[in-house]
Amino acid sequence: MSEAAEARASGSRWRVAANRRWIIMALLLALTCYAPFQLVPFRVFQFTMVLIYAVALLGLNLLVGHTGQISLGHGAYFAVGAYTAAILLHSWHVPYPATLPAAAVAAFALGLAFGVPAVRLRGLYLALVTLAIAIFLVPLLKRFESVTGGSMGLTLAKPVPPAWTGLAEDQWLYFLTLAVAVVAFLVTRSVLRSRVGRALHAIRDNEAAAEVMGVRLSFYKTLSFAWSAMLAGIAGCLYTWVIGYVSPDSFVVTLSITLLAGLVVGGLGSYWGPLLGGLFVMFVPSISQSVNDAAPGVVFGLLIIAVMYVAPTGLAGLAGRAAYSIKKTLRKE
Amino acid sequence: MSELVVTDLVAGYGDAKVLHGLSLTVGPGEICAILGPNGAGKTTLLRALSGMVRGRGSVRLGGTELTGRSPDAIARRGVAHVPEGRGTFMPLTVEENLRLGAYVRRGRTGVEADLDRIYTYFPALKPRLRQAAGSLSGGEQQMLAIGRALMLRPRLLLLDEPSLGLAPLVTRELFRIVRAINEQERTTVVVVEQNAHLALGIAQQAHVLETGRIVLSGTAERIRADEQVAQSYLGYRV
Repeated sequence: MSEAAEARASGSRWRVAANRRWIIMALLLALTCYAPFQLVPFRVFQFTMVLIYAVALLGLNLLVGHTGQISLGHGAYFAVGAYTAAILLHSWHVPYPATLPAAAVAAFALGLAFGVPAVRLRGLYLALVTLAIAIFLVPLLKRFESVTGGSMGLTLAKPVPPAWTGLAEDQWLYFLTLAVAVVAFLVTRSVLRSRVGRALHAIRDNEAAAEVMGVRLSFYKTLSFAWSAMLAGIAGCLYTWVIGYVSPDSFVVTLSITLLAGLVVGGLGSYWGPLLGGLFVMFVPSISQSVNDAAPGVVFGLLIIAVMYVAPTGLAGLAGRAAYSIKKTLRKE
Repeated sequence: MSELVVTDLVAGYGDAKVLHGLSLTVGPGEICAILGPNGAGKTTLLRALSGMVRGRGSVRLGGTELTGRSPDAIARRGVAHVPEGRGTFMPLTVEENLRLGAYVRRGRTGVEADLDRIYTYFPALKPRLRQAAGSLSGGEQQMLAIGRALMLRPRLLLLDEPSLGLAPLVTRELFRIVRAINEQERTTVVVVEQNAHLALGIAQQAHVLETGRIVLSGTAERIRADEQVAQSYLGYRV
């Protein structure tokens, strides 16, 4: 084959693959829109939570998977988003939609504040500092009782679906979350495909080389921290909407660790990793509870080990490998 | 008027000084070879030029002072550093690596044309555009690293041991291409090399470093002709 013909063929193959990708995306979206009408409200709630975790993991993935930094404290940003929304709703009675940008801004600001010193730290040292954020947040929340409701937390009314939608409460919350999640995924995707995304990948893969090519390390690391925290904060805000209750005990250090575990199991640095991680974080603890009532933690832990052993690149990597081998078998026949 | 003027450069890591007041000049469009034994400070010199290592003294490129600026700011002024060990972004594709090279350039104009230019210098890269850079051979990775540096449209190209770990045949080809780039783009080049013979073959002038000081400078021919130099510093007989 001549070089030009080869290029044409590979180009059209690429277009076919792209078309197929869009069809799959459209089917997936149709399915996610159709599902809440077929499932019982509790299941709809569970899938709403999957989407919320997915948004938080999307943020964590940006930082850990794409920029190569570590955070053991993302639960804190999640909590800040949740509490920002809850306090605004509880004490100021602001309308629901307004709490989302407020939570985003609050988490972004906090991410920026911690991102600046984090730029100077690496690896284990960075892990320790971010862990400290998660540790001191809970006592802090309990301390300022007049604002945060202390250990009792804050109970809020859930958003009421507008009459014109004809949706039940759980379905309305599901679609609100879905809309936010889809926007968050699309925006993050386009950022990662741009010059900014290339800069983040360069920092992850080789800091020194990125720097001598003109990538401003401090700027992009801080930006990545803030952006990542913002997505966690948005997820926290959605959490407040859906649960209608926040308390310090919902945001203990375990949340941060669970998020990181979910991301690694889902697939670090992959596009679908956050969603798969969300499914894992939501469903696996309840499944492991049904396996052994006494020790759900043990089963959960063993499952993480098992996934890491079978699929070191996470569930997303496993799915990719499976798709590849299916394609290969199909082509052979 | 010299393109690169280094005056009394002192640099090192923490308290350990590696360069002790080093001065040299490189004319525009020249290739300058930096030779010397291990630990002489060759790599540190390049790092100080690109800002990866902070130094005292003065480094001026085309009249602009570079000392004290951050590496990204220096890159923006047209200094492209191909670090020792190539600095390939392994998981990224070859094309992504090259596009990263154009990172500091504003706007997209010329990037596509520059990519084509890189392929004419390094035709081996073209069929591998969508391949992960980590899957390339050592020689191809070195070509990619130089190609990536060219994407910055550098005034000054710094090459650190381009022959490291490569077969002699590949190394010769690489130096031929560096020469071609220098001739066609009029890029000033500072090349650090253990393989003195090859480096002197393409350079106009050369400096021999020992323990952070320049012990000998001159035209490439003169250095090559000096048998004593060859024996005591470059470790081979001419």
